[in-house]
Order: sequence, then C-alpha cells, then structure tokens
Amino acid sequence: MNHDFSKLPDIIEKHPKSPQSLIAVLQDIQKEYHYLPCEALKLTAEALDLPLSKVFSVSTFYNAFSLDPRGEKVIRICTGTTCHIRGAKQIEHQLETQLNIKSGETTEDMKFTLEVVNCVGACAMAPVVIVNDEYFGSVKLTDTRKLLKGGNNAN
Amino acid sequence: MVRLTINGRVVQAEKGEMLLVVMNREKISVPAICNHGAVEAFGACRLCTVEITKNDWNGWKNYVTSCLYPVEDGLIVSTHSETVINLRKTLLDLHLARHPHSEHVRQWAMEYGITQTSFEEIPDGDDCILCALCTRICDRMGFAAISTVGRGHGKEVAPPLNEPPPDCTGCLACAQCCPTEFITFSDSGTSREIWGKQFEMITCKECSKPILTKDFAETLSKTRNIPADYFEVCDECHRKATALTMGKISQWQREDTAS
Repeated sequence: MNHDFSKLPDIIEKHPKSPQSLIAVLQDIQKEYHYLPCEALKLTAEALDLPLSKVFSVSTFYNAFSLDPRGEKVIRICTGTTCHIRGAKQIEHQLETQLNIKSGETTEDMKFTLEVVNCVGACAMAPVVIVNDEYFGSVKLTDTRKLLKGGNNAN
Repeated sequence: MVRLTINGRVVQAEKGEMLLVVMNREKISVPAICNHGAVEAFGACRLCTVEITKNDWNGWKNYVTSCLYPVEDGLIVSTHSETVINLRKTLLDLHLARHPHSEHVRQWAMEYGITQTSFEEIPDGDDCILCALCTRICDRMGFAAISTVGRGHGKEVAPPLNEPPPDCTGCLACAQCCPTEFITFSDSGTSREIWGKQFEMITCKECSKPILTKDFAETLSKTRNIPADYFEVCDECHRKATALTMGKISQWQREDTAS
C-alpha cells in the first residue's frame, strides 16, 4: 500500500497542538485514508507531544478506527437480533461470495471492506446494511449487487 | 478530619483520603492486587471491595472499591462481611477461569477457599490479569513505553504497533511490579531483552557485575541530573568505596589523637 502521506501534516495542523485533539486528529486521518497508517500514528504522537503508546492505545480502543487498510467502500452488515432473524446471515454469506472475501476483510483491489456490526439501532428497517455512511433498510438478497454497484435504489 | 468506623473500630482520617489508604495505615488488610504505592489507585482488580453503610441509611448498604472511595464522616465499613467475601470469591473464581495456569491467581483463590473454578475454564488463558500496573508504572517512570491495547475480551498489554517499544529503556519496572509475573525478560549479563527489544548492559568497572541498561543510565543521568560516571560502578562497590574512605578517615583520627 503506497499512500501519499504529504497531507498528514496539514491534517494534524488543523487541530490545536494538545493531547485533547488526539481523537479529532485520528478521525480526520481515518476519513482521509480510510484507516490509520503507522506513519500517521507516529506523526500524530510527535505533533501532539504524546507517547506513541497512548496514541496506539486510543486507536485500538475505538472500533471507528482501523489500523488495517480498508477499501473505499466499507460495507457493514448489521447482525443484531432483529437483523439476524430477518436474514442478515444470508446477506453476509451472499456478499462474502460476491466479493470473494470473508467478513472483516478487504478486497485485493482495495474497493470494498466487509464488516459485521452488532446493532445499529435501526431494527424497524431490518435487515440493515450500511455502505460507508448510507443506511439501507429491508435489504433483500437480490439487492446486494446494487449495494456493491452504487447503492442506489436498494430500498 | 473525619471519623469513621472500620470493622467496629473508630478511626480518624484526613478528608479526601481513600478508604484503602486509611485501612492500610490502620493495618486492616484486604486483598488489593492492582494497588501500588507509586501510582494512583485504578480499581481494576475489584478485590478491595468493602461494604459501607451509614447510620441514617436505614439499613441500606453499598459495595465499593475501597481504593477509589474517599472517606466520609460517619462511614461504617466492614471488610469481611459475608456478602463481601462472596463477592471476592466470585471475582477470584472468574480469575481462576481466565488464568488457570497462574500460580499466583491459584494462591489468591486458595486464600478464599477456591481450588477449582466453577466457570468454564479458558485452557489457553494467559497470566495477565489486566491490572495495568505495568503501564501505570511505566507512565510514572516517565517512559510510557507500553499501554493497554484493544478493548473488551481482546484487551492486552502491548508495546505500540506491536513492535519493540521505542520509548522503553529496559528498566524492568513493569516486570518487577507485575503481580502474576507475566511480563518476562531475559538477562544474559551483557545484554537484556524485554518486550522484544535488546539492550546493552553497563557492567561494574570494579566487580564486572551487570548494573543497568545503557539506555536507562543515559535517561537517568539526563532527567534526574545524575552524573554519567555514577553508573560506571555498581551500588555495592560504591558502598565498599565509601566504607574504605570512612575507615581511612577514622584511622587518621585515631592516629591524630594518639600522637
């Protein structure tokens, strides 16, 4: 994975140079690169005058942060009780076959990452699939291709 | 000043002091594995839990970790009531299930009469009880080389990025305060290894015994203002040299008085 890290100093500089900015900085880095590269963690620690161990501790604590490179599209399948009953498992299997990866993994072309989450609190529209930040409810097995393509009209 | 009753005994304490500190001073013992005088209380092991009540609580009781509970006027504490002991037994039972190979955990459980866990044992459970003493001590030493990583059941103590920690100086504070001796290191006389990082040892100029790592000596002389050549000789040889000097001085004095 070769990334252009030249943007990192700008991202870090946008925030006040204090330990309190840590999560905000990490969030912006995650937004830009879809994950937290090692270089970014080291730069952040240096810039905010924090030990690297503290930065690592925070970035591994929150599920919103990922230390592994993730695809452009992060597909999250809700597997909460209601979604589970309404077929989340089948949707997961279908997406796994279509993308040829297991959930938690990223496709080789770095386009998609598949994840399962426990409950997103949208049980009324189960089963729910979230593509990046867009929520799709009452997802059917026949919808998965559309979800991967653009996510349009999946409802 | 506040007055409280611990196990029926009236005790005085400063306002704001933690209950465990007061109990330690009064030689009232409760198990407290994650507690260490060098660092702030953390409340990880929960074993110092005690029962508290007050006269105007109409018989209500509360169970608090004494290491994190500031003393109050009129507090009535019992450290070994039946409920407290049962609470501790449950905690130790859980510890025993998660760390079945730890001799230390086994011993703590034994003190409360538990020899076999009643929960499902994790056969490959490691010995780390996640008390975070090591990371807190490391912070206190001023290195913060290691930290807890992850959350929930995947939480562990690890160096950043799971690589040899850049800020570690090999001082061994973490290994020495680990209550279950989970943190391992190897010393070979001239080198030391901990957290996957190799260190060069300084050996005593006089007796060639290994003293401390080069990194640690450098940091100490920088941050604590200790002359760099202080670490060339070990403590024992320092003492021997001092004793020799003192001996010489007293001999001169004797000679002086004799002549």
